[in-house]
Amino acid sequence: MSSTTAPFLPTNGIRKAVIVGGNRIPFARTGGAYAHSSNQDMLTAALDGLVARFGLQDQEIGEVAAGAVLKHSRDFNLTREAVLGSALSATTPAYDLQQACATGMEAVIGLSNKIKLGQIDSAIAGGVDSASDAPIAVSEGLRAILLDLNRAKTVPDKLKILSRIRPKDLSPDAPNTGEPRTGLSMGEHQALTTAQWKISREAQDQLALASHKNLAAAYDRHFFDDLITPFRGLSRDSNLRADSTLEKLASLKPVFGRNLGNAATMTAGNSTPLTDGASTVLLASEEWAQANELPMLANVVDGEAAAVDFVHGKDGLLMAPAFAVPRMLARNGLTLADIDFFEIHEAFAGTVLSTLAAWEDEEFGKTRLGLDGAFGSIDRAKLNVNGSSLAAGHPFAATGGRLVATLAKMLHERGHVDGRPARGLISVCAAGGQGVVALLEAR
Amino acid sequence: MDHVLTEMPSLSKLYLNAAATSAKQRLARTTPTVALPTKAVEVRGVTADLAKVTQFAHLMGKPARDVLPSGYIHALAFPVAMSVMVDEDFPLPLLGMIHLRNQVEHFSMILFTDVLTIRSWARELTGHRRGTQVQLVVEVRSDDGTRLLWRGVSTYLAKGIYLPGLDKPAPAQAPGERAPFNPPAPTAQWQLGVDTGRAYAAVSGDFNPIHLSVLSAKALGLRRSIAHGMYAAARVVGDIGSPKPEGFSWDISFDSPVFLPATVSLHIADTLADDDGVWLGSEFTAWNARSAKPYFHGSVTAGTAATK
Repeated sequence: MSSTTAPFLPTNGIRKAVIVGGNRIPFARTGGAYAHSSNQDMLTAALDGLVARFGLQDQEIGEVAAGAVLKHSRDFNLTREAVLGSALSATTPAYDLQQACATGMEAVIGLSNKIKLGQIDSAIAGGVDSASDAPIAVSEGLRAILLDLNRAKTVPDKLKILSRIRPKDLSPDAPNTGEPRTGLSMGEHQALTTAQWKISREAQDQLALASHKNLAAAYDRHFFDDLITPFRGLSRDSNLRADSTLEKLASLKPVFGRNLGNAATMTAGNSTPLTDGASTVLLASEEWAQANELPMLANVVDGEAAAVDFVHGKDGLLMAPAFAVPRMLARNGLTLADIDFFEIHEAFAGTVLSTLAAWEDEEFGKTRLGLDGAFGSIDRAKLNVNGSSLAAGHPFAATGGRLVATLAKMLHERGHVDGRPARGLISVCAAGGQGVVALLEAR
Repeated sequence: MDHVLTEMPSLSKLYLNAAATSAKQRLARTTPTVALPTKAVEVRGVTADLAKVTQFAHLMGKPARDVLPSGYIHALAFPVAMSVMVDEDFPLPLLGMIHLRNQVEHFSMILFTDVLTIRSWARELTGHRRGTQVQLVVEVRSDDGTRLLWRGVSTYLAKGIYLPGLDKPAPAQAPGERAPFNPPAPTAQWQLGVDTGRAYAAVSGDFNPIHLSVLSAKALGLRRSIAHGMYAAARVVGDIGSPKPEGFSWDISFDSPVFLPATVSLHIADTLADDDGVWLGSEFTAWNARSAKPYFHGSVTAGTAATK
């Protein structure tokens, strides 16, 4: 089935990149079902499921790209190692990439562009993260001593270096979610943005409740049957609370922004928990999909990245998608009203609602987006209709693959709207004040 | 006549000298002089210690570059300013002096390979409602002394020292009537551990006992050790950065000591040109995250007084 001849390239130089399908393992709350699973275990499991679903055993795929946000230095070739451990042909090249929580999105966009340019015919984009099996480093002091020790040549030199070790050097250095340049955690940053856009506690809890209800309903109608492969005894996302209620959510105490006084609205219920999991998406040219008799769910139409200057306090840490989406839609001659499904990653309920509030704000539209007025509002019935990260959880690099595969399937099911293919928008915010968004179209 | 030193003075010896001078003055009960020494101290042929530059930048959480960070230049030049202050003609005791303000201008980038001439002198001995204040000027020039690269002015307060003949200005506001500080929303938060002072001392060479440990700070009359003012200044200036490293200035005023450990909330806001949105500068304010007591405030500005 695989082809070693040069890919077909139309005369205009650009061809279509299609989403064939996806596979992920259920996402698990940290310390749960995957407490002892490594990034490589989970990425390999997600890849194995994808291979099985689409009959890719022994196939040479054009390229596989995936990444992890929390990555051990020994996993320098995480994706290639996962490919070697999978049923794919050992001649499938692979590379790691990382763009914080937008890693999976960037993998999809980058590989789609290679397909569009005719450099490859097929690709697998993915992402994985484990907050349970996170790498722990030795302290900076001990690290410097051990590296010096490694360079020392004589025994007296080595003893002299070893004598530099102090008790405090022995405490380990665990990764944290603090922004290196501000020292504020992502939740504290979002709490400031949530307060700035005056997002109420009730609105956040309602969004969280909708996420759980929508995700539970999607499982109930077997929507995820061909998107998920069980792993380690888990067949549903372990964070899902189908029986959650507004009362239960309202009873939770704020965990972020507590120094904001009465304005503290962000709880464990309307913020995503630390999660473990992995996801993959199979991308192809139309020719490759047809030759291999594989489905074509949606086209990857466009992608856009943005970043904001949160260090100087100009915008909230997670507000970059508020800039990326208007730019990408304008380039495609579209407005929010032309989109049939919105997948806005729920890092926090406040992130989604702050983004929507910014788009509805006339001042923001005029001064920050350079428009004549507000960018626009969206029909909430089109937002995260099969649930999102608040319910499913958010293993950082794995979220992009989850969103792309889910939306592609929804678009394919919808088919056409008003005589044109249904359109879907994905928006993912990321650490470092970044955001990556993408536009998909049904087939 | 200026006092030209052949090599950089040792800070630890200067601190010992300062302690000895202060003891001598107490024993002799000499009447302090009211005039500043007229001579400057100059050291030629100064170069940066690359290992220290790297450690300094990393302590600030910044990439270590070949260009010297502003705070490191202050640390490099600090022994020269100290030499001025330990001179027996200097009218104020060095130990226990409080850091009130720093104003720095960068006229050019300084590389770690540059050979520098550093010169320092005291000026502006004036009364303060809580004692006597003085300014220490430091100029960093090119090797041949012709090109001015960096100038820093540090203002210090000798608390409780009132020199005869110096007018004590009337306080603008009576103590306790200061306008209440309403903290803005923070844009950053620093968790400073008890070892913050020791860590900065190790990279800057400033082993003033008030920064090192609770015990050494108590020996000098403080309830706990405090963070170096220059640590805060170097970190916030590094965080803000400047799109024009070859020409910018900054100014920081210290409102209250940062007793360690501390959680410091920080607010940074940009000033942009009305017409083209070009960055003109950033203002910053820092306060105690729990008590909302102000710690320090100031600004980083594009260009220098000479270019503005």
